[in-house]
Formats: sequence, structure tokens, C-alpha cells
Amino acid sequence: MSMPPLPVTSNSQELGDSGQSNVLGKRLNKIFETRLDTDKETLEALKELSTFFTENSIQSRRNLRSKIEKRSLAINEEFLSAFTKVKDALDTVYNDVVSIDSEVRGMSMHLQATRAQTYQLIEHTTQLQAQRKKLSMEQEVASAFLERYQLSPAELTVLHGSTRDSPITPVFFTALQRAQTIHSDCRVLMQSGFQTVALDIMEQMSLHQEAALERLYRWTQSHCRSVESTETAALLTEAMSCLQDRPVLFKYVLDEYGSCRRAALVRAFIDALTKGGGTLKPIEMHANDPKRYVGDMLAWLHQVIPSEKESLNTLMSLCSKIDVSDHIQQILASITEGVCHPLKVRVDRILSTDATTTILYSVASLLGYYHQIFSQVVPESMLLGTLAEVRILAQNRFLSALQGRVKQHLADRLDTPPPDLSPSTSVSALMSLLKEVLSVAGVADGRPEDITKMVGVVLDPLLQAVNLSAARLPTTDMAVYLLNCLYQMQTTLSLYGFMDNRLERLQAQSDAQLDTLTSEQASSLVANLNLGPIYTILQETSRGPLANVPGMDAASLKHFLVKLDGFLALPDILLLPQISLLLSTIHRNNVKQRAFEVICTVYKQLFAAVHDPVNGYQNPSSLISRTPEQVQELLLGNGS
Amino acid sequence: MSVGPYNYSYIFKYIIIGDMGVGKSCLLHQFTEKKFMSDCPHTIGVEFGTRIIEVSGQKIKLQIWDTAGQERFRAVTRSYYRGAAGALMVYDITRRSTYNHLSSWLTDTRNLTNPSTVIFLIGNKCDLNAARDVTYEEAKQFADENGLMFVEASAKSGENVEEAFLETAKKIYQSIQDGRLDLNAAESGVQHKPSQPGGRNTLVNDQTASKDSCSC
Ligand SMILES: Nc1nc2c(ncn2[C@@H]2O[C@H](COP(=O)(O)OP(=O)(O)OP(=O)(O)O)[C@@H](O)[C@H]2O)c(=O)[nH]1
Ligand SMILES: [Mg+2]
Repeated sequence: MSMPPLPVTSNSQELGDSGQSNVLGKRLNKIFETRLDTDKETLEALKELSTFFTENSIQSRRNLRSKIEKRSLAINEEFLSAFTKVKDALDTVYNDVVSIDSEVRGMSMHLQATRAQTYQLIEHTTQLQAQRKKLSMEQEVASAFLERYQLSPAELTVLHGSTRDSPITPVFFTALQRAQTIHSDCRVLMQSGFQTVALDIMEQMSLHQEAALERLYRWTQSHCRSVESTETAALLTEAMSCLQDRPVLFKYVLDEYGSCRRAALVRAFIDALTKGGGTLKPIEMHANDPKRYVGDMLAWLHQVIPSEKESLNTLMSLCSKIDVSDHIQQILASITEGVCHPLKVRVDRILSTDATTTILYSVASLLGYYHQIFSQVVPESMLLGTLAEVRILAQNRFLSALQGRVKQHLADRLDTPPPDLSPSTSVSALMSLLKEVLSVAGVADGRPEDITKMVGVVLDPLLQAVNLSAARLPTTDMAVYLLNCLYQMQTTLSLYGFMDNRLERLQAQSDAQLDTLTSEQASSLVANLNLGPIYTILQETSRGPLANVPGMDAASLKHFLVKLDGFLALPDILLLPQISLLLSTIHRNNVKQRAFEVICTVYKQLFAAVHDPVNGYQNPSSLISRTPEQVQELLLGNGS
Repeated sequence: MSVGPYNYSYIFKYIIIGDMGVGKSCLLHQFTEKKFMSDCPHTIGVEFGTRIIEVSGQKIKLQIWDTAGQERFRAVTRSYYRGAAGALMVYDITRRSTYNHLSSWLTDTRNLTNPSTVIFLIGNKCDLNAARDVTYEEAKQFADENGLMFVEASAKSGENVEEAFLETAKKIYQSIQDGRLDLNAAESGVQHKPSQPGGRNTLVNDQTASKDSCSC
């Protein structure tokens, strides 16, 4: 469709003179050179031309130019109208674009503004975010802090109890322990510089603990009687462990426990006394057998103590911070207080019946034994005091019963000593009474002072009575009688322990009587042998030769020596008859020996005097042939 | 987990009786301390020992009252039979007289205890076989005739000591199980103690023993 411009005219006009021929030549050349079959445009143009130039006539050739111009015009008109349309379209587009532009401009402005606004928002958001992060961190710290330094609501409920009477459960102790832990942890806080908080929390925890312990105390106090029940026992043990830091509360609980057990023990004791158990007869069935009755009561008490002690030990088994042994002793003492009265009443009653002396003694001894036992088991207790009391009472009752019997014996027969000077029947009777009592197997090794007292009760009046009746006898008889009585007492007492003092006193009394008896016997010997004058003369200092002294001359001496020979052959014939009535051969020999010694001594002096030339005896060896040693040998046996 | 307050379920009360010198205190000492006391003084009145044992998985505390054999203490010791769940009656196989007195000990025991009291006869000092004065057979026959449990034992070597105490406890425990022994009756010689549910696997040493003579 390309319509080549028509350069022909314009080109020819442009041609200058100088190169006119040349240009023409060139043109021609070009035309010649033109190869139409290769020139597409030309071909096209020709082809187009062929569509309307159908008839090669002059006319048509003349018209060709206008025809072509007309065509060209039509084409351009066509162009114009086409372009008008395009232009309209473009105008519309243009308007659109313009409105878009203004729109966009507005939007952009809006955007600008929005952007400015958003920037602030973002700024703000970022700030908020940072704040939020910080806060959540803080919250984390705070809740960690709370968790560590505060009790949870659940724990608080457990500690304070939902109601006044809500029971204590194992979680209570966990919570209480938590409060304690928090309290101790506050030290860390304190060290980290948070004094105020730490002090606040500590105070808070102390208040919780205090309230909780108060509640625990009330619970424990009202439940301590149930130490025998499974669930309670473990809790009680734990409760006591918590309360050990509060000595006052601890003590109150123990007191309460003590009074519960005290009541229980009294009940059990009374039951054992009056009802027995199973097939066991009640202890009081044996009330007519005081020994058995008292023994059973005390053995019963003795045997319940280990269990009570055990329960106490259990109750305080977790109290490791304090020494529980004192508490245990105190509470045991308090637990056993209740039985004191029923025990005392019964023992008093037994002691006020007219039990025999020996039974009273057994009971006193039994009480002594248990006093000793209980002084180890429950020292410093009322029970021990009661036992001491009834023991003294029994002892006194026994002594007065004994006194009564002694009096009765001595009053019945304030007897004159028998002719054979043997101990009066009251001595034998009282000695067998003493034996009877002493051989009542004292269960407790009787205390020396009790035994001494008891022996005194029998012996003192007896000795008095014996001395009184002996006083009415002649000296020798008196001495022999007293010796016999003393001998019997000594023999009896020497079988038992703790008698040393008494035996010593009896021995001293015997010795005095032995001295008396010896001097009586010696005097009698001297008199019988006519040794008196000789002895007197020998003692004189201012005298001449003895051979010249009357009564000491050879003849008198011979007379004496004959008598002495008779005596030496049968020494016993000159013994006082009462000597043979001495019950003790030791006493007998003692008196004899010592009396004979007197004779030996005098003989020795005489022998020396006779052999002393100063005394002027002729042939002293034939006058006095026996040496003092021989005489001694004959009288005293070999030696000594 | 806290340890239960009681580490046993029952307390059984025992008495040990028999002539002086037969070895009652030595048997108790051997049982509680696992030692022989060669120079044991005569018992004055009564002494007291405890040990926790186990019977059928139950921990039982034995509360043992050792009595004096000397005649002069009879007034005291007779009162301790009351409410004993077990009575160990001891004679000395080397001293016939101590065996001959058994019937009087048995009479006392029967009179002073419950019918449910388990009586266990022990022929002690069986380590002294050479000096034997009582044959096993005749003692066994005596025991059978009187319905007693019986062993020969030695406090010195420890032979059968444990068995005697444990067999007695088993028999008592059986009586409880069979309902022959009424726990609620006062003075049955048995006390029930609550042991913790977890108590069984807590640290209880069943060798824990104490012997505090009389100072219980
Ligand atoms: N060889 C031997 N000796 C024993 C045995 N058991 C005890 N003895 C000795 O026998 C003596 C008396 O023992 P104790 O246990 O005191 O006797 P007891 O029965 O308690 O005596 P009382 O307390 O007086 O009733 C002691 O010297 C012991 O050493 C034993 O099994 N074998
Ligand atoms: Mg003993």
C-alpha cells in the first residue's frame, strides 16, 4: 500500500547546471541497472496499478494521473477519518489518564499522609511490644518470686483450715514446712538487699506459722488421746515434732496426753482390781492374802509402765531437737499419779487390819522392793512418794506390832531365872520371833537401818528385862545367867546380815560379864588353895628373908604345895559350879583359862621368890619342884 | 514419707520361770543381745527385756519379764504371771532337781495365767551334754503329757534359743488368728498396736533390742 512519493518532479527541479548531464547519465544508469523483478516495491506498485489501469488507452493514460491523485485523496480521506477515530479514542484515553493521574496524585498524597501516620503507629507499636516483653518478663519473675516466697491459696487453706474443726492431714505438714522454708529463704533475700520485702515476708510467714501451729496445737490436744488409732498416731507424732519449737504448746499437749493416759490407767487398774480380764480373777479376790494382794497390784503397775513409756517414745519419736527423756519422765510421773490414791487406800486398809507381824514384815519388805524398782522407773513421781509413804507406814505398823508382841511376851512372864541359869523362856521366844521375822525372805534386801531398828525393838526391851531379873541374883549367878542370855541372842543374830553393831554391843556386855565371872572364879581358887596370904606377903616390899616370915616358912609352903598338887591333878573340881552352867564352851573355857592364869602368875612369883637366895630357903629345888612352866602346862594345856 | 509411729503390730508379754541358776537370765540375754553372759548375777525380783520379731510378716514386740528363781522372791515373781501370753519354763539338764521342780512351776503357771497362755518348756545348758542328768526323752514325755512345747537349748551356744522364743510367738499369733485369744480382753498379754500402712517397708531393724534391767 506504500505509495511512493513522487520525487520525479522535485528531483528535476533540484538539478543544477553543473552536473546536469552527469545526473542524467547516473539516472539512466540507475534505470538500466534497475532490475525490476527484484524491486519489490515497484512490483507492488505495478501490481496495484494493474487493478485500475485496465485499459491502456490515451484517455486512460491522460486520466491516470488524476485517477491516481483521486485514489490518493480517497486513501488520505480514509486515513483521516480513521485517524479522527483514533484521535477521539486517544482523547478519551488522555482524559482518562489525566483523571487517573489526578486520582493517583490524590492517592499518593493520601499515601504520603498515611505513611506519615503509620510511622507513628509503628513506633508506638514497637514501644508497646518492648514494654510488653519487659512486662511479661517481670511477670515471670514476679510469679516465680511469689511461688518461691508465698504460700499458694491451697496451702493457706490447708494451714488455716477451712473451718475451725477441719482435720489435720498430711498435707498440712507439707504446707507448714513450706512456710518454714520460705521463712528461712528470706535470708537469701536479705543478703541480696531486699531487706524490707524479706522482713515483710518473714513476718507474714511467722503469722501463718503461728496460726497454723495454734490450730495444730488445738487439734493435737484434742486428739492426743487417740494415739492408739492408726491414722492419728502418725499425725500426732508429726504434730509433736512441729510443736517441739513451741515449748509451751508442747508442754500443754503432753500435759493433756498425760491426763488422758492417767484416767485410762486408773480405769484399767480398777478393772484389773475389780473385774480381772478374760479368765483372770480380779486382783481384789486376793485381798485376804495381803502379800499377794499388794504384790499383784504393784506388779501390775510395774508392768504397764514399759507400754506407757513406749507410747510416749513413739509420740515424741520425731522430736529430734529436744531432749525428750525429761519430758518422758515427767509425763510418766503424771500418768501414774492417778493410781496413787486407789493404791494407797488399799494398802492402808491392809495395814490397818490385824495382820500378823510376819505378814506385815513381808508387806513392808515388798513395798521396799517396789519402792526401789519404781525409783528407777518413775523417779521423782507421786507414785514413788506414795510408795515411800505406805512403805514407812507398813514399816511402822510392823514395828508396832512387833513391839506389841515383845511387850506381851515380857509382861506374861517376867520370870525369875531358872535354877540352871539357862536363858528364860522369853529370851527363846523372842529370839524365835526375831528369827521368824528375819527369815521372812525379805524380797528387797532390807535396808540396814530398818533391820537395826527392828532388832532394837526386840532386843532393847528384852535386854532390859533380862538385866532386871538378873539383878536379883548373886554375882556369879547373875553373870552366868546374863552370859547365857547374851549368848543365845548372839547366836541368833550372827545368822543374819547387818548385825555387826548389835553383835559388838552384845559382845561388850558379855566381856564385862566374863570379867566378873573370871574374877569370881579366880578369887574362889585363891581362897580354896589358901593362896591369899602367900600372895599378900609376896607383894610386900619391906620384909626380911621370906623363909622367916610366918606363913611362908618351908612347912607352910609344903602344906600349900600339897594342896596345889591335888588341884593340878583335877583342876575342874575347884571350878565354881555355875561355870558348868554356861551354855557356851567358849565362855566356859575363857573364864577357866583366865582364872587359872591368875594361879599360874602367883605360882611363878612364888617359885622365883623361893629360888631367890635372899629369901633364905634351904634347897629350894626340892621344896618347890614343879617349874612354873609345868604348872602352866597342867592348868592351861600346852603353851599359851 | 514419714516412718509410722509404731514399727510393730502387737506386743506379746512373756515370763521366764524356773529354779535359780537354770539360766533364765542368760537365755533372755542371748535372745536380746545374742551374747552369752558367763557371770550373770542372780536376778533380784524381776528384770525386763524386749525385742521385735516377725511372725507371718507381722512385726511383734516381745516384752519379756525374767523372774528370779530364788525362793525368797516368789512373793514378787508370782505376781508377774498375770496376763502373760507366753511362759517359758526353764530347767537345767545337768541338775535333776531343777527338772523335778517343774510340776510345781507348772501348777503355779496354770493357776496364775490364762488357759490360752502358751507354755514352752526349755531344757537349758544342752551344751553340757557330758554332765547331763535329765534325758531328752523323759523331758519330752513330760512335755507331751502336759501339752507343753519343748526344746533343749543352750544360752551359751545359742542353740534353739531363738526357736523357743519364736515358736512361742507363732503359737500365740495362731491363737489370735483362730480367735482363741481375745485381744479385747484386758490382760490377755497381747496388745494391738497400729503399725503404719507403709510401716512394713520402712526401716525397721528387727534386731533392735534393748535390755534395761528393770529400769523400763
Ligand atoms: N554351760 C552353760 N552355762 C549356762 C547356760 N546358761 C546359763 N549358764 C550359767 O548358769 C549360771 C546361771 O545362769 P542365770 O542365767 O543367772 O540363771 P537364772 O536362772 O537367771 O538364775 P536366777 O536369776 O537366780 O533365777 C550362770 O553362771 C551362767 O553362766 C548354758 O546354756 N550353758
Ligand atoms: Mg536370773
